[in-house]
Amino acid sequence: MFLDLTEEQKLIQDTARNFARAELEPVAAGLDQGDDREAMLVNLKKLAKLGFMGLNVREEYGGTGAGCIAFSVAVTEIARACASTAVTVSVNNMVCEVIQAVGSEEQKRAYIPKICSGEFTAGSFALTETGAGSDPSGMTTRAVADGDSFVLDGSKIFITSAPYAGVFVVWAVTDKDAPKGKGISCFLVEGGTRGLIVGKEEKKMGQHAASTNEVIFDNCRIPKSALMGKLNDGFRTAVTELAGGRIGIGSLGLGVGLAAMDYATRYATERSQFGQKISCFQAIQWMIADSYTELEAARLLLMNAAFRKEQGKSFAKEASMAKMFATEAGNRACYNALQMLGGYGYTRDFPVERYARDARVTTIYEGTNEIQRVIISREILRHFS
Amino acid sequence: MKILVCIKQVPDMESRFKPAASGVWYDESDLAWRMNEYDEYAVEQAVQLREQLGEGCELTVLSIGPDRVGEAIKKALAMGCDRGVHVQDDAAATKDPWQIAAIIAAYAKDQGYDLIFTGMQSQDRGSAQVGVTVAEDLGYACATTLVGFAYDNGTVTAKRELEGGIKGVVKLTTPALVTCQLGLNVPRYPTLPNIMKAKKKEIQAIAVAELLKEEPLAATVSFHPPAKKGGGIVLEGEVGALVDQLMGILKEKTTVLR
Repeated sequence: MFLDLTEEQKLIQDTARNFARAELEPVAAGLDQGDDREAMLVNLKKLAKLGFMGLNVREEYGGTGAGCIAFSVAVTEIARACASTAVTVSVNNMVCEVIQAVGSEEQKRAYIPKICSGEFTAGSFALTETGAGSDPSGMTTRAVADGDSFVLDGSKIFITSAPYAGVFVVWAVTDKDAPKGKGISCFLVEGGTRGLIVGKEEKKMGQHAASTNEVIFDNCRIPKSALMGKLNDGFRTAVTELAGGRIGIGSLGLGVGLAAMDYATRYATERSQFGQKISCFQAIQWMIADSYTELEAARLLLMNAAFRKEQGKSFAKEASMAKMFATEAGNRACYNALQMLGGYGYTRDFPVERYARDARVTTIYEGTNEIQRVIISREILRHFS
Repeated sequence: MKILVCIKQVPDMESRFKPAASGVWYDESDLAWRMNEYDEYAVEQAVQLREQLGEGCELTVLSIGPDRVGEAIKKALAMGCDRGVHVQDDAAATKDPWQIAAIIAAYAKDQGYDLIFTGMQSQDRGSAQVGVTVAEDLGYACATTLVGFAYDNGTVTAKRELEGGIKGVVKLTTPALVTCQLGLNVPRYPTLPNIMKAKKKEIQAIAVAELLKEEPLAATVSFHPPAKKGGGIVLEGEVGALVDQLMGILKEKTTVLR
């Protein structure tokens, strides 16, 4: 049992922390309040140049080859400063990883280096539809073979990074008569392809700088070579390869929770009421104790899931446990932090309300926590039947 | 061309320091460690020179301390140094600047370095003696507190920071040693691929006993936080007497009145 990070992982964590403090934190509040998104896009390029977009991607494709633990600690550090940047980094990494896992050699060479180098600001996953959220097998976007092309028609929602994505991983029905989930395929569609229309941007509660859009496919013709993986095997890719993304989002939830508690704890040592610092009151001490304990447990669950993934062991259950627990611990930490700041916590003069809004979606996206519980219990019950 | 950059690993300066049981240094447990800020400027400048000179130039990073300083060496390697030297010494913190300089000089004396970079001072001990003493030990030209650096064909042009914001420019012929100050450059972030590549670079381990032959010249005898300020003096009574009393105190105990 060895619970410490390696020297390389520590240096990566350090670099992420230093970069986040110097470059991300100063612009995070402004981005939340609607400042020009350009500041985040510039920072994404800088993060790409430093090697943060392909942490668990092999060097031959322009990745860092640093592994999944390094990915987790990097996302946490970035999220401590800016959740919008962190979610974009997490998704970019997962797009690279999915292409690396399922794509052909040509597809890997065509797209992964461009995301890793920052030539593409982002990559996007286009899975969710209005009628297919937690149950993606119910999607209706279809891809019809036509000569040496596929033609995509349909629409997707909640697509992270869509306006500045260089490539989309798109799931569509290729055999509408197949049993549920058996007739879906996965495609790589380049941003700017004719018939791929980036629709309206959602007005969200938080994570404002990370764009979330509708994406419409209107007679969108793509070459046969755009198919990724086997025909009609795309749904399996969605449910298996995306497990790694849960480590990313769990790490993000942890980072936001830590940011909130670090802020609130420092505040509690400075704020006086009833003639003493409020950190002297047991009510505040218990919030500090509860939240930091939960965040530490979240970190260990994340490290365990990331470690198992790195070791090539099964990690779906552990990734779901980590995602579920870390995002809920992050939300509870934000709740406590806001409570510790009292009325000030509810104002925009302090960053805690932003953390609370940014954290909220982490129990929803990358698989709702209810779906995580389904996955966890299914894995456990398998051993009892 | 051979270049050496000397770095020290210091605690994060936001740490809460408390004296160690020995009473002559801080307690090192539960501290987060990082590269001394001034040494980061030294590494950055050395790496920039290394890039300027290209092939045929070798840049070595040296640090003295326990196992944990390996992380600082790795960072310097990730920033662009070619090889590392780790002088292993679990008791480096208790050595005085004379001894630390003697260790570095003993290592460097037969290596033929053309140029040595150090930080202006460490953030923890802050003696600012090590760089200049190494230069003296080796018979190198030396310039301190650099805020500008240029190198061409065996000559260093160094811009120095003087008191009151005045700058001075000195030229040195190699072999030379320079100490680096805030404002010299902006240290780069090590890229992640370079962090991974640093794992493959050589770090030579040398036991401190092989290099250190000097006794300390200035041993630390006490390490403590400043004494808590006493309570204020409260003067009471009739105004005229109070003024006399106050004037007396100001004359005796302060430099406000003479």
